[in-house]
Order: sequence, then C-alpha cells, then structure tokens
Amino acid sequence: MESVVKTKVVQSHTGPEAPGEGVLDPVIHAVGLTKTFGHVDALQGIDLTVPQNSIVGFLGPNGAGKTTAIKLLLGLSRPTGGKATLFGMDSVRDSLAIRARVGYLAQDPRFYTHLTARETLRFTARFFYRGPAGAIRARIDETLELVGLEDKADRPIKGFSGGERQRLGIAQAQINYPDLLILDEPAAALDPVGRRDVLDVMERLRAYTTIFYSTHILDDVERVSDHVAILDHGAMVASAPTATLLDGDSATYELTFRGNEQAALRAVRTHAWVSDITTAPQNGAIAMTVSVTDERAAESELLRSVLATDDVVVTAFGRKHFNLEDVFLQLVKGHRG
Amino acid sequence: MTTTATAVAVKSPLLPVHTSRWRGGLGNLVRKELGQWWATRMWWVQLLVWLVLLNGTTTMVMLDSGMAPDALVQEAVQTFLLVGATAIGIGVVLTIQGAVVGEKELGTAAWVMSKPVSRTSFVLAKLIGHSVGFFVTAVLIPSIVFVVEARFLLPVQLDYGRFALAVAVLTLSVLFYVVLTIALGCAFKGRGPVAGIGIGLILVGQFFKGMLPLPLVLFTPWLLGDTASSFALASRPDFNRMIPITATAVATLVFIFLAMWRFRREEF
Repeated sequence: MESVVKTKVVQSHTGPEAPGEGVLDPVIHAVGLTKTFGHVDALQGIDLTVPQNSIVGFLGPNGAGKTTAIKLLLGLSRPTGGKATLFGMDSVRDSLAIRARVGYLAQDPRFYTHLTARETLRFTARFFYRGPAGAIRARIDETLELVGLEDKADRPIKGFSGGERQRLGIAQAQINYPDLLILDEPAAALDPVGRRDVLDVMERLRAYTTIFYSTHILDDVERVSDHVAILDHGAMVASAPTATLLDGDSATYELTFRGNEQAALRAVRTHAWVSDITTAPQNGAIAMTVSVTDERAAESELLRSVLATDDVVVTAFGRKHFNLEDVFLQLVKGHRG
Repeated sequence: MTTTATAVAVKSPLLPVHTSRWRGGLGNLVRKELGQWWATRMWWVQLLVWLVLLNGTTTMVMLDSGMAPDALVQEAVQTFLLVGATAIGIGVVLTIQGAVVGEKELGTAAWVMSKPVSRTSFVLAKLIGHSVGFFVTAVLIPSIVFVVEARFLLPVQLDYGRFALAVAVLTLSVLFYVVLTIALGCAFKGRGPVAGIGIGLILVGQFFKGMLPLPLVLFTPWLLGDTASSFALASRPDFNRMIPITATAVATLVFIFLAMWRFRREEF
C-alpha cells in the first residue's frame, strides 16, 4: 500500500493549480508561503489552493505549522517568503478587506469575559454592520440558535465551559455571512457530542460558504471534507480531493478469493496493463491487490480472467479504498523518511 | 466572483460598515473600551479611590485651623495638584499595565485583529477609552469636589480660571502616563517591564528631581505638578512653565506614534 500512496502524492501534489479557464477562482491561493522564527522554519514554502464552496481539511500532526499558516492567511502574522491571495487580494497588503469577508475561529477561542454571549456577538457584528439595530438583533438571535446557545445568551462568558466557548466561537465566526470560514481545530477540545454538533454546523454552513479548517481528527475530515491538505514539519505533503486520496491510486483493485493462488496469479499476469500484484492471506482466503495502468480494461477483464481459472472461487472484487488514517500516516512517514 | 456576502447584502436589511484603511473598527472598539469603564464597576472603584486619596487628603488640609489663610489655600492647592500628578500617574500604570499585554497574552487581541480592524484603531481605542476614564474619575470629578470644598472650607476663594488651567496641566500629565503605559504594552510581552518602567519613571522623578540639574528635569513630565500649582496660585516658578508642558505634549505624541508603529509590527 505504501507504494500506492506515494504514487498518489506525486500525482496529487503538483503545486498550486493556477486559476484556469472555466474554473472558479480559488478562494485561497498560496505560492511558496514561508515563515521563519529565528532559525526555525515553521513553514517551508507551501503551495495551497482552496476552491470555492468546498470544505478543506487542513491536516497535520501537532506543530506541523497549521496555525502559523492560518495566521499568515489572516494577516495576523507576516510571511518571510512567498505570497498568499484570498479572493484574489494580497494577504498582507489587503488584509483589512480580506478580513471583512472572512470568519475566523481560533484554536482556543478567547473573548472578553465581562461580556455575555449576546454582547460578544453584538460587538462582533458591529465590525461588519452599522444597522439597523433590529436586523442586527435578529441576526444575533439566529446565530445563537444555530449553535444552540439561546438559553445561555445572557450569561457572562467567564462561566462558559470549553464546549460552550467553542460554539460561541463558531457563532461569532459566521455572524457576517463570511465568504470564507477559517476554523483552527474547531472540534479538538470537544467531547464526542460537541464534536458531532460542530460538524453538523459545518455541514449546514457548507451551502453558503467555503470552509478551511485545521484538524488532526481524521474521522472528521473523512466525514465532512471535499479536499484535504496535509502538512508535516512545515512542508505540504499532499493536497487533493478527499475521494482521490482515499481511493489511493484509482487504478488499484482488490480481489479476494479461495483456491489456487498460483493459478490466479498466472491469470492476472497475462494482462499487459497489470503493473503490480501483491497477495496476503485474509481469514482463510487470499487478498490480492492489483495495480493497473488501464482502468477500463481492468474493470472489464480482471475479474473475468480470474473467474475463468480452475480451482479459484472469488468472494469479493472492487476498487481499493484507503482509510484516511492509513493514507495520512503513510504520507507523513514517506515525507519524513 | 459572486459571493455569499454580496448575495446576502442584496437580501438582508443589514447595512455594511464601509471599512476605512486606518480607522477600521475604531468606533466599535472605542465603545467597547468605554464600556469596560462605564458598564462595569471599574468607574466607581476608580472614582472612590481618587475621591478618598485626593479629596480626603485635601479636606484634612483645609480643616487645619492652625494655618494662615493664604498658606492654607497654597497648601490645599499644592497638595491636590502635586499628589494628583504623582498618584494618578502611578494609578494609571497599575490599572492599565495589562491593557495591551493582557490582550496579547489572553488571545483577545488576535481575535479582534481577525476582524476588519486596523492596528491603529486598536491602539487608539485603548488610548481614548482609558484617557476618558481617568480624566473623568481621577481629574474632573475630584477637581469639582475640590472646588466645592474650597468654596465652603477655605477662607480665601480660588481663582476658578487659573484652577481650570492647572487642571488642564494635570490632565496632560495623566494623558502622558496613559500613552506611556499603552506604548510600553505594545513594546513588551509581559506586565513586569510595563509596570516597572512606568512606575520607575514616576518614582525617579519624585525622589531625584530636586537633585538633578534643572535643564534635565525641565524636559520631563516630573515638573507638571509644580507647573499646575504655579498656575493655580499665580506664583512664578524658577523655570519657564511652557517647557515641561511642551516637552510632555511632544513626548506624548512621540509615544502615540511609537505605540502604533510597534503594534503594526506585532505578530499574533
């Protein structure tokens, strides 16, 4: 599987796609984005493209540079090299105009503790809207309802639990109907119920906005993300649609059978489009993984040729699907070693 | 690119703020800073402290029946203005040492700066909020109380015009320490250097201004208390009163500029 995943990296990470004809302009487009703290290279020239109306999971182990990258995009920090544009605007020069269209949730969101949740949302809303007061009030109520904080809206934040603070963080991040939501580890500090709630909110928002979120929870990425970007030690290891990453090399098939292994191998090897075969025992049967160069030919002939072999009973056949955890670990391991 | 925000703007009655490059978010931030003073117990705690400290002390002086009338007026006015210039300065540094540093430590500064807010606005709002707060609670109200007390307790009436001029000088002193503390907060990451440098500067002035050569002291805010007293009492000090006033005003403007310059380079 390792070789399959590595092949995928080369295919998927070919640098940022230049905004092309017939393709919507990307919301985020970074080229060679670099950040150095003293002698530490926090980001080593990363390329990143976030398409419009997508949910992009920004994966990486702790300390990979995810938060640093997010801060560069928001203009909270300055890059030491490279460039990023959001909505086609420069992240440094046009930071204020960019932030007017972005909602941001920090990894450990902090607010003024003397304010209530409602006052915090009113404070946030006033950066974007000057009135009318009734419409702002309605928007705040709508947002409180979205994150389920209606009953705690008038309590001071200092009494809020971590989960409640996180939900308030999501509420304030999307109060301005942002074109882009940037969420830094939105579910990291939450219990399973809180996590599910946050993912539900993200799914509800996907119809209206592009979401770029960092996480190290692979299940969440698998559940809600269209695209995945994987960062390790400040370097971009892979960036591809989630389905493509999970499929691994799309031309890899898995065939499970009982019977004569050598006969099955001979039958498969007769095809010129077979590039690699591995076999492994699996619960009394044999699992064969076949990499091919011609997907169409494989789908019509591979199974047929094995079925035609004497002493072989096929119990399962299909395209190989990878688990994101496997993909992630292999990519990171491959990058480090 | 058709954006959600654009689409919403068409449907929604919400009126967007027109973001200005240098004062983006200023009005909202000033409102928040003033709210921190006037919507919490901060205003009455501060007011109580200054009424007790300044007016309490001067009331005791005014009630001293053993002094000649002119000397009593002089003593009361000098006590109010000299104690005020020093004590309010220390109070300012102690109270707002965490105004910027605390927000950087806690992460609220990064949160606010993720909104369409200019860094200039963030610093200006702090300066405006705390300057107004200290002016009202530590200068204006105690000064009014002092004038009312003086009317009833002092044998010689104050010249209100001259006293107002003295209060203006005291206000400049307070403004200087607000600006200095905010500037130090922009420059340092911890409260220690902010409080240490701020209070150190005041105490050095208090203890050593008499020992240092006058030309050195003249260009510092240390003489503002004496300057204010000389205005209130129509006395002639042995220095040009305009020098400490001008020097402090210039230093205040320089520190405002430095605070903004440093905060614009802050990395969150």
